[in-house]
Amino acid sequence: MAPLSHEEFFTSLTDLLSKTSQKSRGSVYLTQKPLAGTDSSARPSILIRATDGNTNAPNPKKNKVEKQKKSDSKVKLSTVVAPEDLEGFYTRYAEVCKGGMTGLKKRDRKKGKAKAKGGAKTKA
Amino acid sequence: MPYLPTSQAYLEQSALLLEAYPNDTRITTKYNFPSQKPAKQSPPDTPSQTPIASLTLKTYNPTSGICLKYRTNKGAEVGRLITSLGKLAGGANVAALGLSNAAPVAQTGDVEMADAPEEGGSAPVSAAAKTEGNKAGKGRKKGGKGKR
Repeated sequence: MAPLSHEEFFTSLTDLLSKTSQKSRGSVYLTQKPLAGTDSSARPSILIRATDGNTNAPNPKKNKVEKQKKSDSKVKLSTVVAPEDLEGFYTRYAEVCKGGMTGLKKRDRKKGKAKAKGGAKTKA
Repeated sequence: MPYLPTSQAYLEQSALLLEAYPNDTRITTKYNFPSQKPAKQSPPDTPSQTPIASLTLKTYNPTSGICLKYRTNKGAEVGRLITSLGKLAGGANVAALGLSNAAPVAQTGDVEMADAPEEGGSAPVSAAAKTEGNKAGKGRKKGGKGKR
């Protein structure tokens, strides 16, 4: 699949994460690895992939050959990040993941409040 | 396939693995909810039973077969972890990760950095210059940071 632009990738990833979090089931897999094929002297671009872990192959445990619905098909996203874009990309990437992975444990509220207070004090 | 106890240990070990095999090591981040029995789906309006998702980081190198993992369920860690993965993707070594000043877990092969700028660095700290062992270590770290 052709790689998406960073913008499209983030939009789709946000969507994928929020859907998974809403359903409270399923997985999202994110991988990063150096893109092969570039000459080894330069720093390689990084290939980022995101999938929902569904497989289009039929489940071998089931004897019945069921036709999968279209909505069940695998979600696959990918994008390529040039070495000089890494920092900016990962800043946004971290934000998207932070915002989308709402199923994880929230930060302790008391701690958050105490911090907010401290911050306000130093500002005033 | 060990799970490392802390994110710091995971990131340090991953940095070393990436340093050793920069071209074919991949990092997978899995965000998943615990599997539920599909037969017993709870009704949609039971927020008390919301399952807690977990985040699993995995660094894998197919050539050596080394696999490092770290798992967490704390939302507060996500931002920091992803940012660190970005540093790893950019080829950062252990020192450049900017984690706490813990000693490197394993000595890397290229310890000798004879070409560290000793003369320039030692001028203002002539008193401390006698402690050569420590100094060499520091110089190495700094040199690595600048180089990569």
